[in-house]
Amino acid sequence: MKLTRRMLLLGTMLSAALSMPSTEALAQNADPVQVGLIAPISGIYARPGTVMRMGAELGVEDVNAAGGIECLNGAPLELVVIDSGDSVEKAANAAQRMVADYPGLVAATGSYLSSFTLAVTEITERANLPVLTLSYSDLITGRDFKNVFQTSATSGAQAEIALPIIMNLAEEQTGKRPKTVAVITDNTAASLSSVERMKKGLLADVGLELVSEEVFTPPLSDATSLVQEIRARRPDLLFFLPTVISDSKLILEKMQEFRVKVPTISFGIAIAEPEVLNTMQAELLDGVMSAVANWGVKGQEGLIKRLNEVYGEPWMTQNAVSTYGDMWLLKAALEKSCSRDREKLAETLRTSNFGPSQYYPGGTLSFDASGRREGASLTIIQWQNGVPVTVFPEEMAVSAAKWPSE
Amino acid sequence: MTAVLRSLLPYFAFAAVYLLIAAFVTNSYYQLIMTLVLVWASFGLSWNMLSGYTGLVSFGHASFFGLGAFSTVLAQTYFGISPWIMLFVSAAIGALAGVAIGLPTFRLRGHYFALSMLAYPLAMLYVFQWLGYPEVTIPRVLDKPALYMQFSDGRIYTAIGLVILTIIVVITRFVEQTRFGMALIAIKQNELAAESAGIDTLAWKLKAIALSGAIAGAVGAFYAVVILVITPQSVFGMLVSAQALTVAMFGGPGTVWGPIIGAAFLIPIAETLHAELGNVLPGIQGVVYGIAIVLLIILAPEGIFWKVRDHLRNRQPKETAALAATAAYASSGNSTKPVQSHPKHTISDEILLDVRDITKRFGGLTAVNNVTFQVPRGIILGIIGPNGAGKTTLFNLLNGFQIPDTGKVILNGRNMVGQKPHRLCMSGVGRTFQIMRPFKRMSVRDNVKVGAYVHAASEDEAEQIALQALRDVGLEDVADRVAGTLTTKQLRLMELARALAGRPDLLLLDETLAGLGSEEAADVVAVIRELARRGKTIVIIEHTMQAMVQLVDRFLVLDHGEIIMQGSPEEVTRDPRVIEAYLGKKWGADA
Repeated sequence: MKLTRRMLLLGTMLSAALSMPSTEALAQNADPVQVGLIAPISGIYARPGTVMRMGAELGVEDVNAAGGIECLNGAPLELVVIDSGDSVEKAANAAQRMVADYPGLVAATGSYLSSFTLAVTEITERANLPVLTLSYSDLITGRDFKNVFQTSATSGAQAEIALPIIMNLAEEQTGKRPKTVAVITDNTAASLSSVERMKKGLLADVGLELVSEEVFTPPLSDATSLVQEIRARRPDLLFFLPTVISDSKLILEKMQEFRVKVPTISFGIAIAEPEVLNTMQAELLDGVMSAVANWGVKGQEGLIKRLNEVYGEPWMTQNAVSTYGDMWLLKAALEKSCSRDREKLAETLRTSNFGPSQYYPGGTLSFDASGRREGASLTIIQWQNGVPVTVFPEEMAVSAAKWPSE
Repeated sequence: MTAVLRSLLPYFAFAAVYLLIAAFVTNSYYQLIMTLVLVWASFGLSWNMLSGYTGLVSFGHASFFGLGAFSTVLAQTYFGISPWIMLFVSAAIGALAGVAIGLPTFRLRGHYFALSMLAYPLAMLYVFQWLGYPEVTIPRVLDKPALYMQFSDGRIYTAIGLVILTIIVVITRFVEQTRFGMALIAIKQNELAAESAGIDTLAWKLKAIALSGAIAGAVGAFYAVVILVITPQSVFGMLVSAQALTVAMFGGPGTVWGPIIGAAFLIPIAETLHAELGNVLPGIQGVVYGIAIVLLIILAPEGIFWKVRDHLRNRQPKETAALAATAAYASSGNSTKPVQSHPKHTISDEILLDVRDITKRFGGLTAVNNVTFQVPRGIILGIIGPNGAGKTTLFNLLNGFQIPDTGKVILNGRNMVGQKPHRLCMSGVGRTFQIMRPFKRMSVRDNVKVGAYVHAASEDEAEQIALQALRDVGLEDVADRVAGTLTTKQLRLMELARALAGRPDLLLLDETLAGLGSEEAADVVAVIRELARRGKTIVIIEHTMQAMVQLVDRFLVLDHGEIIMQGSPEEVTRDPRVIEAYLGKKWGADA
């Protein structure tokens, strides 16, 4: 008797549990559309991840203020933030959790570091979740994946675009072309693919001889030997590819300490984060240039101002602007697919062209078969008067470029 | 084999329940965790195979794990080889790496061994980074994914993981119950004693590390398949080796259950903390996890399994244990008393052991200087001398612990200098130790059985020999007690039985009577005399003469590493040099 009553109770509970999804489905139309941000919120990459979140939050706010997804009865976007941690393993683990715990996600953006994005997309690809990424590595879109969309120019492409510009600038302003170059790079996937591409022809194409290549694992504890090497080799140029802010600081400080004054061109944004100013004097940074996939440009003054007012950010880095742009791109795609189905959304992203890009430099809002944004270019920024400003492309430039003098 | 399987019934019940639970888990993340629990339990068992049983703590098991993981990913990437095949290849790679690492590293002991093991995975980590593999992924196969161990349903991985774990558990239990495991446990408890009991410690340790490496390699291969993305840091890193160590230590090393319990507790806790707290306060999960481990180590330093087992054992059969102890006392007393009527033993003319001019120096100190003597078969020879006279060093030279600088040790006509202790044991030299070296956690029977393997072809035979040896010394009633609970006298007798189990011609007894009251000493003396009557040749060291005078046929007196005299007990006790050596010049002159 007792047993049957308990079974009855269990049965009721079970049927209640089973019937829940259907009632949910009925009410779903008014529900927000979930989009994910999977980025490092803790650990040594927390800072860029946090800035991505700022961009995403502003993006969601603006999309919702503009009426949400009209096609879905004005459903608002809802941001789900997942911490990818500070290692590849943690990022992969976080991606597992994301796809398991948020079945309602239609798309995600992430994950700052290319190595993390590579790991995360291995998992999202199998879950058919479309992911937009601002990471650079060529590998990300070199795997025949169907659900990865790279909004930045890839590392290889960036180096290809940036090198001739840099060489011309040097010649224009100093009267002679640099002949030798040294490379200091960390061993993250994006940095390594840039260097790889340079060594496989790009340097030769612009007439540069590689005199020294040093690879380190972040975080760096001492930069002495790296800088000693540069001092000994006396190259005309230094290409510098850090990913962690503290690493870039450490190396620049060491260069100052040793009075190594080689014109330094960085790749990536680690050298242009506001934190750099916490320990370095602005005038010491003056003239340092960096090739980055995206940056606050002419015409985005309003957004830059809001970022400053809401979050206290002094300027807008790639992490903020690209992730902000991702929200608008997702809105456009959702309007077109007019569905909460992630596979339909991926299909739309693969096949549509949403016109000229507003928040990513160059090209259009469309992707080629491998998932690379068509016509993606980059920005070159330079520290001028304590602020890293965009100096290329000229039509978006906030200021003119000045060759760093020795 | 059936006994092994029967002993694992609780495990099979556990596996069935686990599989049942897994079948109802639909959240893919929890499916992953359920698989990872099995992966880390298996990896913990791999660590346990070497470190849990031999006590040689390895901080470097990530070497084997990482090699397995990387080989599997690279083999599929470059050659299209399926992980199903790589599972076995990785095991072979792990075994080879085990032997390659073990050969040089087993020369070290204790902390030195642990620390040098740490170096291997760290070195490999940099090698793989340098080779250009900062991050590798299992290529996705769309055509017939099952052939490449790729499934969209995470529960299938849990099932595969469970099969792998089961195989490892069966292997482990099999090892545990045969001479393999016995040898490893003996090595853990006391490597010197194991060696002198006829165990070729280096060979067993190499077998253990090869097996352990094979398991770790296979587990690493499976891990790579499950986790998809691996980096040198994620498979060779410190945390990987630590993971094996943590789950095994947490659950209790030296048992099949330890790593399973450890993994089943720690992995879900760590992951849940990560998932639940990680987003609220990033990094806090590490703090909570750390505190949990610290607490556990304080509360149950030997691991959950041993803590619980000791707790249950202490509580339930206390009375029966006490009864057994009194019974043992009574019976051991009974069995030895009748023998006390000085049985005769015969000394033959045949020379069993011929020691010629052996010398051993430690730096400036000559511990044994030009010692020459002969031991006829059947004799009880007493070696006496004050503390520091070189008695124990002499024994160490005779049973191979140390190699003499000069001279010969001829046993049955063969020079044995330079032979390892377990070889000498096989050739018929058994010994006991001044400081007793019991295998404390093992039963008395198993303690003795370890010594019986030298000449036993099977487990049964070893069992028979061990029982006979226990009977010979009158300990058969305490055979099933754990050695740690014995009295000093019983321990002395157990050591004697262990030496006897090796069926030695020559027994070297190092201060067997030390620490015994006169009555207890008399019991032990009776046992030794009975052994001599049955034809054993015995050399015994003592520094007190009293009990010895009654026992030995002949004395050999050592002082400052030299023989100062040999002779019958009567001659020796009267000799002024002996009195001088023991009591000083003044007394010698007076006498």
